[in-house]
Amino acid sequence: MVNLEKSLAGIRHEIRRPSGRYVVENFDASQAEEIIGRLKKVFGVHTLSLGYKVRADLDAIYEVVKMIAPRDGTFKVETNRADKNFPLNSMQMNAEIGGRLLADIPALKVDVKHPQKVLSIDIRENGDALVFGDFVKGAGGMPTGTAGRGTLLLSGGIDSPVAGYMVAKRGMTIEGVHFHSYPYTNLQAREKVEELAEILSSYTGELHLHIVSVTHIQEAIHKYCPAEMMVTLLRRFMMRIAERISERVGSQCIITGESLGQVASQTIEGMTSSNAVVENLPVLRPLVGFDKTEIIEIARKIGTYDTSVLPYEDCCTVFLPKHPLIKPDLAKVEEAEKKLDIGALLEEALSSEEEVVFGK
Amino acid sequence: MIYLDNAATTRPDRNSVQRALRFLENDFFNPSALYKEGFDIHREFESARKSLLSHIADSASFEFLFTSCGSESDNQVLFSCARRGNFVTTEGEHAAIYNAAAELKKRGIDVRFARLNADGSVNEEDLLSQIDGNTSLVSVIHVNNETGAINDIAKLASLAKMKNPDLVFHSDGVQAFGKIPFRLTKEIDFYTVSAHKIGGIRGIAGLARGKRRNLYPLIYGGGQEGGLRGGTENVFAAKQFEYAAERKFSALEKDFEKVKKFNESFRTGLDGAVFRILSADTASPYILSIAAPGLRGETLQHMIDDHGVVVGTGSACSSRNRFSRVILACGADEKTADGVLRISFSAENTGSEIAEAIRIINLCARTLADKMK
Repeated sequence: MVNLEKSLAGIRHEIRRPSGRYVVENFDASQAEEIIGRLKKVFGVHTLSLGYKVRADLDAIYEVVKMIAPRDGTFKVETNRADKNFPLNSMQMNAEIGGRLLADIPALKVDVKHPQKVLSIDIRENGDALVFGDFVKGAGGMPTGTAGRGTLLLSGGIDSPVAGYMVAKRGMTIEGVHFHSYPYTNLQAREKVEELAEILSSYTGELHLHIVSVTHIQEAIHKYCPAEMMVTLLRRFMMRIAERISERVGSQCIITGESLGQVASQTIEGMTSSNAVVENLPVLRPLVGFDKTEIIEIARKIGTYDTSVLPYEDCCTVFLPKHPLIKPDLAKVEEAEKKLDIGALLEEALSSEEEVVFGK
Repeated sequence: MIYLDNAATTRPDRNSVQRALRFLENDFFNPSALYKEGFDIHREFESARKSLLSHIADSASFEFLFTSCGSESDNQVLFSCARRGNFVTTEGEHAAIYNAAAELKKRGIDVRFARLNADGSVNEEDLLSQIDGNTSLVSVIHVNNETGAINDIAKLASLAKMKNPDLVFHSDGVQAFGKIPFRLTKEIDFYTVSAHKIGGIRGIAGLARGKRRNLYPLIYGGGQEGGLRGGTENVFAAKQFEYAAERKFSALEKDFEKVKKFNESFRTGLDGAVFRILSADTASPYILSIAAPGLRGETLQHMIDDHGVVVGTGSACSSRNRFSRVILACGADEKTADGVLRISFSAENTGSEIAEAIRIINLCARTLADKMK
């Protein structure tokens, strides 16, 4: 209920909870579409429907049913009678309304097993009745806030916002971490990530984005370590930073948008190498078994795709080797890393952290 | 902050803004209105038109239309004059011509691009060889916005018309107007100018048009600009443009010499081990294109920015549009084109700013070169 209220902030409405469903009422008819659009993004809502409120009177109810009924095809009527004083019981009501419809719209047929359209009538105890036609699919999943808190590595790409969406759908609250390498990357790239966070927050509710510079880390790796290890080593630093931030904000896991074999670094060896530096938290990779096309499909559905494909680079390609290590060997990686003052680099990166809040 | 991106836009000239302010605050009337308050504004608007034209052409042969931006002026000429046959332009055009040309191509017009010389000016021979009896329009940029290369448009227009007297000749003069001594000749039919490169504000620009040259509106409306551009006149902007241009043109030669010195300081002061000068000696002194091969221009720009100096890059750091099309067309390799900075001056800059900027740019380039080792 709190999530529903938050999603409708700024729109006049009331929410009540009769048995088994939530009812949003007393809003301006002109805002109905906006309300449905917002509620479709609330996790835990499986279906929703625009209803019409009328006097609990047989003729008045039928007027509305007739208005929203299809002109042909199959249908059935479903009545729920909370007000037991209403003269007809549920079965009688279904028969009466269905009979009238069949008489008025000859192209309609009844099909109680697989109707093309269900017309629902809800007779309430206060003398009102609600009539529903179309049910639309909601976001599904579990209500936000019911499944703990996770730290999402949010780049400007297509995958990471989708990964965030997947865990948020199952009720997880999200903290975002974004890494940049200004001056090697630009401010437009940062703006793009902020836009993605804003879109994500329309599903997840309040989302804190922690923006951290890894410029000095990249420079140090470039200077002291083998060129082909840039990506592997940088990812290890990102994981360490994400874990530090998680501990501070109370996150219980790290979430990445990696998908097995998608790019050279997203191999099981690459994942092993980055997991090795995470000391206390599980690393969730909700997209691990997804194809790129499947990820893109979700990105389009949740509205992050068009922003993700803007051309700004999020992690500077200037330091990227032509041939990154595909199957890094953990022992060699750890050996190469010994040349770096890991603690000092982490401290420096964390001191650059900025926090921006979305979806407040 | 030391501002050296004056080819992108200039700081609006305060004096002209102050002087024009009365057209924003008090004399706000619609110049098309018939009451005397409106009529007075109409006269002010017309005097701005006359004054702006007077700097580059005589009013017996040319007239001046107000538009909202240089891109609009360019587009209006292209979509009016390249309706059949072929359209000949150059690889050194601003996006306002280049992308409008791409659209013309989509609509079935035969669009031809003339090659550039290494200095960024158009190759005259190639340009003329593309012009034939079916050419309806030729458009050649006056001063290229990335390299500062100057095209001798008076000569090119005259040669073009010898090959085909019926063609229309247009030039985008946005980076030349108020900066390079120049007057329109009778072979030039249209010439684009803009306010915000010379201390004017954005939202106002102009198109000089040879008398009786055919032109069609992009915006249909209440018959303003002789029916060639609908929309209520932007009187404040036009007056501020007039006043800013007055100041620029009265100091044009003095400013030219001053800026030339800035340009020379850069040419001699930049670290030769890191930088290559791309702009030719003959280019407009207002624009200096330099490259640090092996470094990325945008990264360098950010570092320089962090030291309080603002310069331009050839193009934005995006994977789709990484290298400047114009710099590549001058024959530069990708490594060079990736490291381009555009320094563009204004007479409002001072000698000490220039010296400091050179010091910082050298420092940042050396620092970055060290890091990239």
